[in-house]
Amino acid sequence: MKVQPMDQFSAELADEVRDAVYDGSASGYDKREEALFGDYPDPDLLRRTAGNIKQHTLEHLDTYLLQAEAKMRENGVQVHWAGDGDAGCEAVLRIMRDNGATRLVKSKSMATEEIHLTEFLEKHGIESLETDLGEFIVQIDKDHPSHIVKPIIHKNRGGIARSFEREGLGAYNDQPEVITRRAREYLRRKYLEAPVGLTGGNFLVAESGRLVLVTNEGNSRFCLAATDIHIAVVGIEKLLPRDRDLSLFLGLLGRSATGQQLTVYTEFISGPKAAKQPDGPKQMHVILLDNRRTEVLGTKCREILRCIRCGACLNVCPVYRQASGHAYRSVYPGPVGAVLSPLLAGNRFPELADLPKASSLCGACNEVCPVNIPIPDLLLRLRDRAKQEGVKSPGTPPLAAWSRLASQPTLWRAVMAGGKVMNHLPLEMLPVRALKDWQSARKLPKWRGGDFRRWIKKHKEAESARGGEA
Amino acid sequence: MSADREEILRRVKDAVGAIEHPADYPDWPDGLAVCDKRPLDDRWAAFCERLTAFHGMPLEKPEELAEYLKTFRYTHGYCDPELAGVLAPVLGPEFTLEETFERSRLDDYRFGITRARGAIAETGTLIVTDGQTSSRLGALAPWVHVACLRSDDIFRDTAEAAAALGDDPNVIWITGPSKTADVEGILIEGVHGPGVQVCLLLP
Amino acid sequence: MATCLCEAFFDDVAIATVQVLEYLKCEVAFPDGQTCCGQPAFNAGDWASSRRVVRHCLKVFAGEEPVVVPSGSCAAMIFHGALLEFEEEKDLEEVRQLAGRTWEVADFIVNGLGVDEWPGKFPASVAFHRSCHSRGTDSGPATLRLLESIEGLDLRPFGEAEQCCGFGGTFSVTFPSISAAMGKLKLEHALKENPDCLISGDMGCLLHLGGLAEKGGTPVPTRHVIQVLRDALRNGGLIS
Ligand code: SF4
Repeated sequence: MKVQPMDQFSAELADEVRDAVYDGSASGYDKREEALFGDYPDPDLLRRTAGNIKQHTLEHLDTYLLQAEAKMRENGVQVHWAGDGDAGCEAVLRIMRDNGATRLVKSKSMATEEIHLTEFLEKHGIESLETDLGEFIVQIDKDHPSHIVKPIIHKNRGGIARSFEREGLGAYNDQPEVITRRAREYLRRKYLEAPVGLTGGNFLVAESGRLVLVTNEGNSRFCLAATDIHIAVVGIEKLLPRDRDLSLFLGLLGRSATGQQLTVYTEFISGPKAAKQPDGPKQMHVILLDNRRTEVLGTKCREILRCIRCGACLNVCPVYRQASGHAYRSVYPGPVGAVLSPLLAGNRFPELADLPKASSLCGACNEVCPVNIPIPDLLLRLRDRAKQEGVKSPGTPPLAAWSRLASQPTLWRAVMAGGKVMNHLPLEMLPVRALKDWQSARKLPKWRGGDFRRWIKKHKEAESARGGEA
Repeated sequence: MSADREEILRRVKDAVGAIEHPADYPDWPDGLAVCDKRPLDDRWAAFCERLTAFHGMPLEKPEELAEYLKTFRYTHGYCDPELAGVLAPVLGPEFTLEETFERSRLDDYRFGITRARGAIAETGTLIVTDGQTSSRLGALAPWVHVACLRSDDIFRDTAEAAAALGDDPNVIWITGPSKTADVEGILIEGVHGPGVQVCLLLP
Repeated sequence: MATCLCEAFFDDVAIATVQVLEYLKCEVAFPDGQTCCGQPAFNAGDWASSRRVVRHCLKVFAGEEPVVVPSGSCAAMIFHGALLEFEEEKDLEEVRQLAGRTWEVADFIVNGLGVDEWPGKFPASVAFHRSCHSRGTDSGPATLRLLESIEGLDLRPFGEAEQCCGFGGTFSVTFPSISAAMGKLKLEHALKENPDCLISGDMGCLLHLGGLAEKGGTPVPTRHVIQVLRDALRNGGLIS
């Protein structure tokens, strides 16, 4: 019998990587706890409120999208719509060509990862350079991010130093400080050479048309100080109704992601630069991206669209900690990815239908999620969908038979009592891979089926005998 | 493109229309996300405490700034023309304050002095805007950024500041120096933006 | 509801549940037709099969009486999981009715019966593993409240207490390696505090952890919370 691909991946993962992922995520979890519980008497109230605001926004998305669009236009922003990933990529390319631009600098954006924008642009002769330190390292290594907030959580300094040496960024030096300074020197030239700065968007406020970006490094600020044209690719689920919502969401995002009260730079951008301002984009384009978000909106899994990409669910997840982000074979790893990736896969759903199974349903993700997404429930819904669509799942025991048994009490009692034979069987010898694997690490206790029923029967008899005496 | 717009809006309408009881916008008080476990009444004091906690540097006198910059021989920098008149005499003759930021000489500027639109006491945050910042690059590229703040402009908390975002096209909340922990989770300050974030109180 | 795990392996947990509830003056009935709560198929995504088992529970546990379960996860299957899988079903109301009166046993004792101090004594150090299905429910705090009030019981907090033990029912079968790694970490943290025994409100967790510990050469006695409560009564001479 085949085994689950994620379990296999985890079993083969290098210790070095596992340790790096484990330490990085565990420390992320600790910082979050400290920041949230240190600052608020009842962080759960904040999470629930934020979740309700997001749910409301999603369930009135038509109104808010139109409101945001009108407001952005009023603010001088050019608004584009992209039904799918290809349309999103094309929209960027068109703006580049209209302006005769061949290079852009970009700050971290999950939406652009999702639509594989960089590969697309490169194919069309456009240089797209990642400027977030982690994403830059991922790009020069032709690797993939393995965490949505800490893209190189799986790498160590030695590997990074070797990559820098290979790329001509200086002789081998693995001091994190030196690595950072070298990237600083290299990238600040690049900002100045690029006519276009590309960003994602953390929030888009409907009432004001304000795009909100948060970064710690300041790379998105640099993109928007050095270039002439700003393009933002924003998923349609990023909306918030009002500016007042921002204090709540920013406080939760910083604390949940990295344990910060606020991320170092929060930029509120509502249009091209002011007339008097010498630096910054004279054009601002916002590309509103659907890419199956509307499809998700139509399902009972729509809660996942509340996600603000804080990464807290990855940090706390015991499966993510053991398996690492790459085990999820998709742009969004961890619990959020196990829900979102199969949903965004369209008819490739079966290829990723094993991800929702990779969870003990412990619920830790739900407990930390700043928008209170019931991730375990959504995982279960997707398991149900996979079953209904007939997707095969390696290693799963025959539960239909079990359920039939469990609805026939007489047979059930006989099997329970008869199970005692198991105590005399060499279970390790049975030709069932799952049972073998299970038993290779754990010892099963003795079978005692039927014993309780005998006890309770006697107990009840004694009771009624006593009752009879009285 | 406009076909995409119509198509997306139609799909959103269909999805939303099928929801039986769409969720209401919840009631919540403005102060919900405000952390007020530290006293916020003396806004400047509270702001200084937070800014320092996040490795920023609050200064009350231009002389202190001069002294700090001299220690590192940071004597050449960019300065908002509206501030240069006041600051140049106080800083002294060894300082060169350029009043335009030449992007081709980006690394010549060791510091950049610009105005802050305001600050937030709760979080030690500085607020800069396009309207008040004489050069986005001047406030960002040099190693030291000095934001000049008037004490009347300090908001109590993030809720107050969010309500006052106004119509400036580019508002930035700055909470400490630029930083990263991408390499093995080790904190390094000064990635793309300033490694030193100063707030100078204007009289 | 005794649960299938207790029926197959841990009869003493079911017995302890009866003894504790009777000590609290409850009249305990054990409907003979009971089997399983439907959780294995539910978790595996076979909701149609799972509904069949839940419908069986509806029959067996018909009535108005509270249904008390010595397992956080089986209780949660009824009061939470079943509601999900019956969303579109005609008998949703019946499921709601059962869900509304289904309790995890510690939660029942504290919040149902209003007991918040436990008599008797239990002179031992214990590491309490909060089982995951009690997240977001009142079971965890209820259990701690009871345990903390027992004379002689020395509760030993341990690191990463929020983490799952890796059992997750069929998860431990389909993801044997990740599951074992999770369990070993949990054991490492719990055993570092040198407890006399490891306790939890879910026999699933204890089956897994106990099995891992024994195979790994560091056997540790495991007790269900309800056994600790019962033993405390016994040690205090309050029941025989
Ligand atoms: S699902 Fe929740 S916890 Fe996970 S990344 Fe999204 S917002 Fe954060």
